Amino acid sequence: MSMLPSDAEDRLLANAKRLADACQASGVEQWDLVGFQSYGHELDIEAGKITMASGGGEGGFGLRLVDHGRFGFAHLVDVSGAERAVKQALDIANKSPSVNGFVLPSAQPAETVGGRFDPSLLDVSPEDLLEQADGVLSEVASLDERAVVTGGGVGISATASCFMSSEGILSSGITTSHGIGLQVTIDANGELTSSYQGESSRKKLAEIPDCIGRAVHWAQVTQNPLEVESEPVDAPVLMTSEGFSPLFSMVVPPALTGEKMVRKESFWSDKLGQQVLNGTLTVLDDGLLEGGMSSGARDAEGVPRQRRTLIENGRLSSMLWSTRDAAQQVAEGRIDAAASTGSACSGGHQAPPSTGCTELFLTSSEASRSRIDLLETMQEGFIVNSVMGAHTANPSSGDFSVTTSAILKVENGEIVGALKQAGLSGNLAKALNGHVLLGDEVRRQGSYSSGSMHLPDVLLMNGLRVNPA
Amino acid sequence: MVMAATPGTNHMPSTGRYLDQDRVRKALGHAQELGATYAEVRVMSLTESTVAMRDGVLERAIPGQELGMTLRVLADGAWGVHSTTDLASLNDQIESTTRLAKAVAARRSPKDRAVALADVPIIVDEQHWRSVLDVRHTELDVKMELMNDLYRGATGHDDVVSVRAGWSDEHLHTELMTTEGMDRVWSFQRSLIHGMVTARRDGEVVSYRTRHGGQGGLEVIQACDLVELGEQAQRAALRLLTAERAPSGKMPLIADRDLTGVYIHEALGHPCEADLVAAGDSCLDGKLGHQIGNEIVTVVDDPTMMGGYGAYPVDDEGVDTREKVLIKNGVLTEYLNHRETAHHFGVDPNGGARAQDGLHHPLVRMSNTMIQGGHHADMDELMEDIEYGVYACGTRGGQVDTGRGSFQFAAQEAWLIENGELTRPLKDVSVSGLTLQILKNVDGLTRDAMLASPGFCGKGQTVPVGDGGPVMRIREALVG
Repeated sequence: MSMLPSDAEDRLLANAKRLADACQASGVEQWDLVGFQSYGHELDIEAGKITMASGGGEGGFGLRLVDHGRFGFAHLVDVSGAERAVKQALDIANKSPSVNGFVLPSAQPAETVGGRFDPSLLDVSPEDLLEQADGVLSEVASLDERAVVTGGGVGISATASCFMSSEGILSSGITTSHGIGLQVTIDANGELTSSYQGESSRKKLAEIPDCIGRAVHWAQVTQNPLEVESEPVDAPVLMTSEGFSPLFSMVVPPALTGEKMVRKESFWSDKLGQQVLNGTLTVLDDGLLEGGMSSGARDAEGVPRQRRTLIENGRLSSMLWSTRDAAQQVAEGRIDAAASTGSACSGGHQAPPSTGCTELFLTSSEASRSRIDLLETMQEGFIVNSVMGAHTANPSSGDFSVTTSAILKVENGEIVGALKQAGLSGNLAKALNGHVLLGDEVRRQGSYSSGSMHLPDVLLMNGLRVNPA
Repeated sequence: MVMAATPGTNHMPSTGRYLDQDRVRKALGHAQELGATYAEVRVMSLTESTVAMRDGVLERAIPGQELGMTLRVLADGAWGVHSTTDLASLNDQIESTTRLAKAVAARRSPKDRAVALADVPIIVDEQHWRSVLDVRHTELDVKMELMNDLYRGATGHDDVVSVRAGWSDEHLHTELMTTEGMDRVWSFQRSLIHGMVTARRDGEVVSYRTRHGGQGGLEVIQACDLVELGEQAQRAALRLLTAERAPSGKMPLIADRDLTGVYIHEALGHPCEADLVAAGDSCLDGKLGHQIGNEIVTVVDDPTMMGGYGAYPVDDEGVDTREKVLIKNGVLTEYLNHRETAHHFGVDPNGGARAQDGLHHPLVRMSNTMIQGGHHADMDELMEDIEYGVYACGTRGGQVDTGRGSFQFAAQEAWLIENGELTRPLKDVSVSGLTLQILKNVDGLTRDAMLASPGFCGKGQTVPVGDGGPVMRIREALVG
């Protein structure tokens, strides 16, 4: 039996139409609405075994009304409450300030973005997931008989979504996803080490995804830590894609939003056209990425998504705008002109659109290097594969001070062993403006802000301090 | 689109019911006929409101009503769970969810224990913690006026580039029915106001966050001097503009109430969650009855602490709440439990089961977690014999690796302590350590313990919590 009812999209659209009728009947100038309905199966794994199987469906609608530049928003699950939600949103609009020039976007043609729906996932049953989880547990045991999966799980989902507006935009579709995340622990010789690794895709993952091997590997290599002096040291740090992503996503995407730039709340405010990163580095947001977790034909306001270079060869070249942010900042005189870059992100049905990235890539104009090459360049320093406390990094300044228990010491270009724990601090924006080299394998990572991060290993030669415990 | 069987478009009266009791009893009975040893249906309705203002101007206000239901079936010693917004679909899910539980059970190896639940009193009742001023009847204008008080306190300096104020309130209504005959309904409210002051000077951008809130309605926010809260935040943001980077290394640390709360939440609270202990993912496994901290350290977790942001009348398995003493004079005395872990460890459940909402199953969670007060009169007394150290205050959050027992938490601002005096302001201070080492390094606590700012805790699901304690001194901590 398919995970998704065959008429899921039709039912979603029928309910959206009911909401749209309520908006229309209210006499409001403009409106838009989003609707979601997800279905899925999930398995929890703890202490080396599958402990729970769960499934279900959830969804709802968010509607935004705009009247004379004022907007109001409300969300609901049950569209029998449409009239009340419309009234609530209108009441709020009436109390909101008018943003001169804020109108909802008109309908524009949008490219189709493929690879976001894998029909084979619809036929994956809970029993199939149980088979996959069994296989994963066996694989972990075969890689290291000491290794135990102490947490995590496997899940699949299918989501029907729709967007509808008074300006004639109507889009709907179905996306799928398959994800796995595992905490692997090795408790040996009185030393407990662990590593969390995960992977997700719009398409069906391999039965044994690569993240399984990485989780076991990092739990293994951090065993038997070195005895080191607890003295802070400024040193090069090779951050794996997994270790770098939480800090990068906490600091860089917010700094690239137009609103923060013009409000002087970004460390890159007033630096458009200036060198802000190492001259080899480029940051690109690919809203049209095939198979992306956050890409798509249209953004959360119905504007066509774009592929946009934000930092080119180290120079800040662009920023991210949604329609409302752009109108507001122009109306308030902070910038002469701004227009949507198709960067409105949905916070689900419970929040109006915000501004953010979709599929952010960090690339280098220099030839990418293998990890061995990077270690050879580094000579003396550290490799960090995960950090604790990335969410405490300061997005206003780029400063961070985090802790890692997945850190290896490098001497003469060779890994000599693990540290039990260390502090890691610095300023990420400044470190990325120093000597930076990128690895040759890009992996997609989740994000603390919006969108996905497509990052290789990143060798930061300057600007970081390591403080062994 | 599945539809929620909401009883209408009006807010539910707190004494009303979403669940059709006869229908649910039949559905649960059907699960038993199919071989379930236990089954429950829990529905939660959330009436919520969030408001955001910037520089005294409304940015957005979001009213919302969410409803979710979770069916849990225990069969052959394993769980099957189904969550949905479609209350009417309950009957259709009984068979598949029971089958799912049995499929999980069939994969259990002989060495693994079957899931079983500790016995609890079977209660049929309603408990409603009524707010003095019900959040559902609070007009947007009233909220905006209070948020503007915070704004007025925080603005008015050339270096302040923006002041954001936020509001969140919620009315939670939960119903739980089980195959054991439990039939409980409870409701309560939470309110929160928060602000962020961003300041900029010579290209340097800093921000400072402040929060006030707790269990209850509008009266919780009205009890706070919001102008003063804003003024404090402005002063702190301006201090950060002149603050230096913190020194790195091991040194004495004094933590204010906020940071003491986050420390005890991360370093001790999480490793005390019995689901993590049972999964082999806690450094406190096997440590019950052991001295794990200095004898001045006593820690409680208490959902009955009325007014605390982590307070709740009944846990999400229908178990009455009570104070849990996690550490008594440095000795680990109790884990936080739900029914499954309580059976595993052979103890009574202690009301630690919490679910984020109606669409999530309960996990073992903290509520209001505090270190109790000690014997020092004030911070000056704690500081007087420190030659070189750090006083850190306010929290930017923390994180823990419960298995290794390593944790990290970050302060909003800090001062250098030199020869018993606060000298220079510092920024970006974080503290890390190992639970089993640092609890023994706590060597000073002021007398006056109380809950600090409200917070949120993530463990796959997000729940509101209260943390706090007295001002605390740690003899040696790794400052970054």
